[in-house]
Amino acid sequence: MMAKVTLRNLAAHKLRLVLTAVSVVLGVAMVAGTFIFTDTMSRQFDDLFNSIGKGVAVDVRGKQIVDGMDATGAPVRPPVPAAVLDRLRTVEGVKNPIGNVTGYAALIGKDGKAAATVGPPQLGVNWVETGGSSDFKLISGRAPAGPAEAAVDESTLERAGYKVGDQAKILLQGPTHSVTIVGVIETPNLMGATVTAFDTATAQRLLLKPGFFSDISMDTTGVSQEVLRDRVAQVLPAGMEAITGKQLVEEGKSDIEGFLTFFRTLLLVFGLIAVFVGAFIIFNTFSMLVAQRTRELALLRAIGASRRQVTRAVLGEAFAVGVVGSTLGLAAGYGIATLLNGAINTSDEGGLVFTATPVIWSYVVGVTITVVAAYFPARRAAKTPPVAAMREEVRPAQRTLRLRVIIGTVMTVGGAAAVFGGLASGTLELLGVGAFLVFLGVTMLAPVISQPVIRLLGAVFPRLFGTPGRLARENALRNPRRTASTASALMIGLALVSGINVVQASAVSSIGQSIDKQFGADYILMSETQMPFSPEAFKAVSQAPGVERATALYMGQINVEGKALGVQSGDTAGLVAGGRMQVVSGSTQLGKDGILVSEDVAKARKWTVGSPVAAQFADGARQQLRVAGIYARNDLLGGAPVLPLETYLAHTAQPLAVLGLIDVANADTATRQGVERALAQFPNLQLQNQAELKETFQKQLDQLVVLLTILLAMSIIIAVIGVVNTLALSVIERTREIGLLRAVGTSRRQLRRMIRLESVVIAVFGTLLGVVLGVAFGAAIQNGLADSGLQVLSIPVPTLAVYVVLGGVVGVLAALWPAWRAGRMDVLKAIATE
Amino acid sequence: MTNTAPITAEELNRPGAADLAARAQDVSKVYGSGDARVVALDHVSVGIPRGRFTAIMGPSGSGKSTLMHCMAGLDSVSSGQVLIGDVELTRLDDKRLTRLRRDRIGFVFQAFNLVPTLTALENITLPMDIAGRKPDREWLDTVIDTVGLRDRLRHRPSELSGGQQQRVACARALASRPEIVFADEPTGNLDSRSGAEVLGFLRSSVREMGQTIVMVTHDPAAAAYSDLVLFLSDGRVVDQMGDPTAEKVLERMKGFDRPGSDA
Ligand SMILES: Nc1ncnc2c1ncn2[C@@H]1O[C@H](COP(=O)(O)OP(=O)(O)O)[C@@H](O)[C@H]1O
Ligand SMILES: [Mg+2]
Repeated sequence: MMAKVTLRNLAAHKLRLVLTAVSVVLGVAMVAGTFIFTDTMSRQFDDLFNSIGKGVAVDVRGKQIVDGMDATGAPVRPPVPAAVLDRLRTVEGVKNPIGNVTGYAALIGKDGKAAATVGPPQLGVNWVETGGSSDFKLISGRAPAGPAEAAVDESTLERAGYKVGDQAKILLQGPTHSVTIVGVIETPNLMGATVTAFDTATAQRLLLKPGFFSDISMDTTGVSQEVLRDRVAQVLPAGMEAITGKQLVEEGKSDIEGFLTFFRTLLLVFGLIAVFVGAFIIFNTFSMLVAQRTRELALLRAIGASRRQVTRAVLGEAFAVGVVGSTLGLAAGYGIATLLNGAINTSDEGGLVFTATPVIWSYVVGVTITVVAAYFPARRAAKTPPVAAMREEVRPAQRTLRLRVIIGTVMTVGGAAAVFGGLASGTLELLGVGAFLVFLGVTMLAPVISQPVIRLLGAVFPRLFGTPGRLARENALRNPRRTASTASALMIGLALVSGINVVQASAVSSIGQSIDKQFGADYILMSETQMPFSPEAFKAVSQAPGVERATALYMGQINVEGKALGVQSGDTAGLVAGGRMQVVSGSTQLGKDGILVSEDVAKARKWTVGSPVAAQFADGARQQLRVAGIYARNDLLGGAPVLPLETYLAHTAQPLAVLGLIDVANADTATRQGVERALAQFPNLQLQNQAELKETFQKQLDQLVVLLTILLAMSIIIAVIGVVNTLALSVIERTREIGLLRAVGTSRRQLRRMIRLESVVIAVFGTLLGVVLGVAFGAAIQNGLADSGLQVLSIPVPTLAVYVVLGGVVGVLAALWPAWRAGRMDVLKAIATE
Repeated sequence: MTNTAPITAEELNRPGAADLAARAQDVSKVYGSGDARVVALDHVSVGIPRGRFTAIMGPSGSGKSTLMHCMAGLDSVSSGQVLIGDVELTRLDDKRLTRLRRDRIGFVFQAFNLVPTLTALENITLPMDIAGRKPDREWLDTVIDTVGLRDRLRHRPSELSGGQQQRVACARALASRPEIVFADEPTGNLDSRSGAEVLGFLRSSVREMGQTIVMVTHDPAAAAYSDLVLFLSDGRVVDQMGDPTAEKVLERMKGFDRPGSDA
């Protein structure tokens, strides 16, 4: 019987349930899309690694000594001497051992720009005829031979605008290299990586070190990979290791899986935020449906339905909405994934990966959120006294808000504490839980807050818009809970967007301040992608007219007390001047074994001037260093210890310059043009003065804000649908009142204005709540990160003001349809006495 | 006024009939079609004399509300004409009709008369506020004092009794000095004492202020407050009665309650 009631109700309220389902659909779509898309990417990477590892039974490589990455993002390992290759040939079971060379090489396009930008690695390799880890085939042309030839993968060649026979330049760690492109290589789907191949001797010279390989891969004559690995291991010199091909593939996969997991989690967080916002809409809709059906529910109770049955009838409806919403969401998610995959992958092999995971997540998330959100209205429905069926007018008892205030305050305060705790300890989860609690707490408090705020916001309405204005304000005030939960849905998205904007503005100000304070050079040299670049650039720059000093800043890693420690290096005098380093104690005369450490590091490690530091370099060499000086916190150079340049270079196979500080005699246009001309063969590098540097940072941060805002757009859209839903239901609920207003002479236009203003005031309230909360979050984050470079709090008032105005616009848009409906309402139906 | 036969369409157009506040000429109203076809009004012609309290009586389903809705511009007619003063409603679009209702007509319904978010006073001045007109202070005071609600003006409808709510509704209907007030069973939801208060008030507004009021009712006691009773049966005006008393009306009504009689 009750099932029938549920079904009939679903049929009777199709429209509002569709609107409710939409709020489930959007959130679920994001969640499902995330899984389908990342699963697909994961499969494509797996394919790549599988194809790379196909002919490899065992791989020999240097043992990693220090945690660190090279310019291609691969771990830094000592290279394998070529002599090992000969020794491996004598091992029984080894078939066709091949020495591989891998390093950084980026093709400069016809337009003078590097062919690829940020992201996937740009690899240089040695051309290997058959087998090997680089299992390449020629599509056209021939294999590279000699120092002036290279072969390039097909899609890179296309992007760079070359064809076989063209001259091209290639960026390397060393000097830029000119080649003739002699061949095109067919590769598996490289997921955006680029490959340039040289003959082995050239590759060794350009990418690594003559007489050395990055690794040696081999096939087996028949023995198992494990057996072969153990045999091979026995002939290896110290510092080398052998791993099976399977392990090699797994390592590749798990590296990528780490990145994909991060990416998936990020998207999932935004999807779940959208789902969470959807919960407010569901809660509101069901609350209103229950309120409208009070009489019917009371009748059911009067004729003997138990509370449980009534609850179940309402929850049954929610379940159905959840199932429908999840199904549509799953389908929409598939669509999103298709779009994303199409945007990122040019060659779409095998289509999307569709596993059970997105299906399970979609239904669990969608149905759970709907049923949980509808639970409270359902319980209220069950509490309907049977006598309500007989009452003339059903006025639901306005329960006291006191308990709400207490719980809301506790949640908000607890959440805020968790936010601060999370920031202090750097625990993102705690921060997230704190923010979530604050949202819930503020939502609980919102009905109380709404009264004075809406009274204030609507104070001008009667004067500006007459009676419709006054009615609109009163309507927004009459059901504080409804207004509040509608506004809260909007609040969440806006709080996050505003918070991000506050952090961004603070970061821009902080960076600007740091640049002003610490930037002692005339120009800074960086690669556009902010990846490490070739130190060769400095040789070119130093020869430009008017250049007084060009200092490279290098990055690296050493082991201290068995743990990796990030270090930097460069000409000490140049760094001190260009970075305005202030030495607190000791001196900057480093000699061969002196290091400069920051105050923070010195304090943490209890080092003083003269303290010995036992260090091991990436090449395995050990050396006793000593603290020569201690410098004050420096925003440009960070806090990493500074090694003497000579010592750094002596132990680093591929020195990685991360930026350059350039002093000139006279910072005029002529000098600058001279420097830029000197850098012509490094199109990936960018010369910037202080103002330009600030602008670059601002632009990058702006992009980040845009990206995050797009990710939050779904939540905001759902919230807007919530406003539409609430208004539409309110209009239905107030049928009689609207009819009465029409009967006594309210025009359709006045009626529409009334609905519109109500919508605007709710939307602006939600926006304001969000902006205020966002500023609070932003300020908390700034405060928490004040010691990590976010020293200035900056509130972007104009941007936030624009949001509030947009909130009003959203209100107007959300009211379009409900207002239209209200205007068309049949006057007679409205005043009919049943 | 003596007991006369129903007014005919011709009579309405007599020159002497100029003092009618509203009239319906040969009005029919048909709902639905085919099997579901209901003729709610069947060629009805009535005139509402200005400055009088007219009651429309009839059994349930006889078309009273329909007639009132049509005459008040709340509903369209299937055929015939409706005039308020000399304005023919059947020719007006929604915008003009709305304005006419706002400026020239007052309403009292059986229930749901007041906007719950507005105070009693705000409800009373609502039509004028919507029009953006300033209420006539003096007149407003007179009306408020007549309904006897001065100490309740700041209350919301939910804080008023049913009788008080209906009195507020009456005050609203009168406050803008409309040409005519339509009331559909204004006492239908009230106990007899509250009902008597409301009816007394309506009558005195006619007697003392010269208001024109049309009231739909099925209660003979209520009809007795009026100056003239029109009897409706099966969508037709079947009779009228001047200076009614409850007994006379009841007697007349008994005729309709027996199916097949009279009409
Ligand atoms: N919207 C409608 N649709 C169909 N029939 C209607 C509608 N409104 C009224 N009727 C019918 O018209 C007739 C007159 O109704 P009504 O004017 O409400 O009578 P009264 O007010 O005298 O009780 C009744 O038979 C009623 O069923
Ligand atoms: Mg009726």
